Amino acid sequence: MSTFFRKNLLPLATLIVIIIFFLAAAQGMNSQDFVITLLRGLSVGAVTFLVASGFSLIFGLLDVLNLAHGTLFMIGAYIGWTVFVRPDTFVDLLTPLALALSGFTLRDVYPLLSDRIRLSLSMKRILPWALILVSALLFILVLPRYPIAGWNLDNYAQSPVTYSYMADQGTRLPPPTVAFDQISPALAIGGLLLVSLLGSFGLSLFDQSARRSPQLTWRSYASFVILLFIGLITFIFNDALTNFLLGLNANWLFFIAVIVATLSGAGLGALMEMTLIRPLYSRPIYQLMLTIGLSAIGVQIVQAVWGRPEFIMPKPTLFNGSGASCPATNFSSWWQGNCSTILLLGGRVRVYNEILIPIIGVLVLIAVWILLQRTRLGMIIRAGVQDREMVEALGINVRRAFTIVFALGVGLATLGGALAAPSMGLSNAMGESLLLDALIALAIGGLTSYPGAALGSLLVGLIQQFMIQYGQIGISIPFTSLVLKPTPPIVPASTVLLMVIILLILPNGLLGKKE
Amino acid sequence: MQTILDVQGIHTFIGQYHILQGVDVRVPAGSITALLGRNGAGKTTTLKSILGLTPPRQGKVILDGREVQGMRSFDIAAMGIGFVPEHRAIFRDLSVEENLKLAERAKGDYVRKRDFIFDLFPDLKRLIALPGTSLSGGQQQMLAIARALVADNNLLLIDEPSEGLAPVIIEHMMSVIRQLSAQSTVVLVEQNFLVASKLAEYYVIIEEGRSVRSGMMKDLVSDKAAIHRYLGAA
Repeated sequence: MSTFFRKNLLPLATLIVIIIFFLAAAQGMNSQDFVITLLRGLSVGAVTFLVASGFSLIFGLLDVLNLAHGTLFMIGAYIGWTVFVRPDTFVDLLTPLALALSGFTLRDVYPLLSDRIRLSLSMKRILPWALILVSALLFILVLPRYPIAGWNLDNYAQSPVTYSYMADQGTRLPPPTVAFDQISPALAIGGLLLVSLLGSFGLSLFDQSARRSPQLTWRSYASFVILLFIGLITFIFNDALTNFLLGLNANWLFFIAVIVATLSGAGLGALMEMTLIRPLYSRPIYQLMLTIGLSAIGVQIVQAVWGRPEFIMPKPTLFNGSGASCPATNFSSWWQGNCSTILLLGGRVRVYNEILIPIIGVLVLIAVWILLQRTRLGMIIRAGVQDREMVEALGINVRRAFTIVFALGVGLATLGGALAAPSMGLSNAMGESLLLDALIALAIGGLTSYPGAALGSLLVGLIQQFMIQYGQIGISIPFTSLVLKPTPPIVPASTVLLMVIILLILPNGLLGKKE
Repeated sequence: MQTILDVQGIHTFIGQYHILQGVDVRVPAGSITALLGRNGAGKTTTLKSILGLTPPRQGKVILDGREVQGMRSFDIAAMGIGFVPEHRAIFRDLSVEENLKLAERAKGDYVRKRDFIFDLFPDLKRLIALPGTSLSGGQQQMLAIARALVADNNLLLIDEPSEGLAPVIIEHMMSVIRQLSAQSTVVLVEQNFLVASKLAEYYVIIEEGRSVRSGMMKDLVSDKAAIHRYLGAA
């Protein structure tokens, strides 16, 4: 234990100084403000952590700076909103999505197929592009004709804003009905399947480092068959599934929305890694450009699909009550009235934002920690962070671990997005500022350290919220009668300032390891 | 005699550098074969090319009668190769036990082989809970070899086992490697000719990316001129 202190003297000292400063500054605050600000800080810290931890896991193992992480966070929020507010749209999307993704699961098969193709060198260069082009054209032809119940961005009464508002009031607008009238179902399904097969084969040809696996087994086809099956089942039972989801209690629907957002993020992450990131492992600059580009594309897609205006995501009914018994005075009265706020030490605390989100943040922290420390996958990740080549030389498929980590990282971001949507609201820009906060948190905590991501996010959240609070009440400087009032622009600057100070003292961050 | 590993005329590039320009290595089953040559001759790259870590662009690597060049590294390794790299590559964030467990290829490998490994390296049993960072150079080398023994490997590729070790520990390593060669074939890269000549039965000399001479070690030992020409002062 004493060696632990000796080795970590500087980080511990820095942390203690931060805490002393913090306590000294908090002196002039009454307990009610203090509790609220502390909980808000925890809430912001938890959301930041969900983004930062995924970013740090990906960077640690794969050396990829995924600058699209903020956008993926935002996409998570919009996916969560869609499932929660418009489950009918979500169900309509399942079939085309399952079909479009199915081809990408055949990645073990493609190298064998491409070995068989005998073409001149120039044709081999053109082939992937040609395949992707045909696939994209087909996609543009088929998808708009596929009936998906959506919303109308130009008509206010049918816009996401209105759907959200009505759902928040507890009434649902009747979903618009759509049917196959522009394209026959068989043509649509076959077309989407072809899009997926051509596109994924084309993309796989770019991966020069793809090497043949020893033999194909049923496993190589299993995911393909499963996705195909899901696509057909959701096609056949579309109405039944929609009615089931619409009839669900809003709490369960919200839970499903969060799960779907997380899983979609994981799937999106796996897809990104396998098709786009993988060919670029040896070219870090291109990775940066790719993720920046993806980020911009993501924002554009979200604008095109959900529109520019900001809108809210209703809270699940468990956290949305406002009856006579509200605000709740203790947790049992909260449970009875489902109040949106609760009185803690005299302060009114929003249950969803300031209690549920921090709790989930802590649960995720623990779950991922267990994954890293107690499972074989965690062992592979920790070893791979240091020396991928050696892990592979032990006979371990590191690439699979790469894909899983990328999926996990993006899944955490979209989980964060869906969770934060009811408290932050949905906007196209919600990811950018969060990515910046997450990067600052990682710089403070240590870029590839998982506990560092948690500590850094916590500090960033607390400092932001306390600075906002100080902007109203002022900081009383200890032992003097001076009161300092930070202006609003100080709020973002304060976290950067902390980062600069910490990096000057500890270039690897509080918990980062020396390279 | 049966050949377990047959490397035929491999060419390997690292980036744009043409590192291996035709290397042939034949390894008889059950033997210890030493790859000799000066610094930077391509000995380590040869080992890595066998494993596909630096995949050869030309030539064949035949392992147990099967062409493995172009296969994924982990698939090649899983065919039964244990790799002990230069500088040991112990995983710092893993405990000694985790370093060994990671090398499992089938569940339970570690438990099954534990006693055998601790017989060879009694020190490791004492250090089992320590993180990889806190080991000395000799202990790291023991762990690196032990790690290659957890799975049932019939071919061990050992890179510079004596590098940076005290003479007593080198003696220990040599006896361990000799013991291991009773069960598996060993390919050894070794700068220290004295160590290599005591251990190996066969040798291959690599010079500037080409294999230039190979044969029985006992013939080389008596050929002072060749030792001087290829390996410098011996």
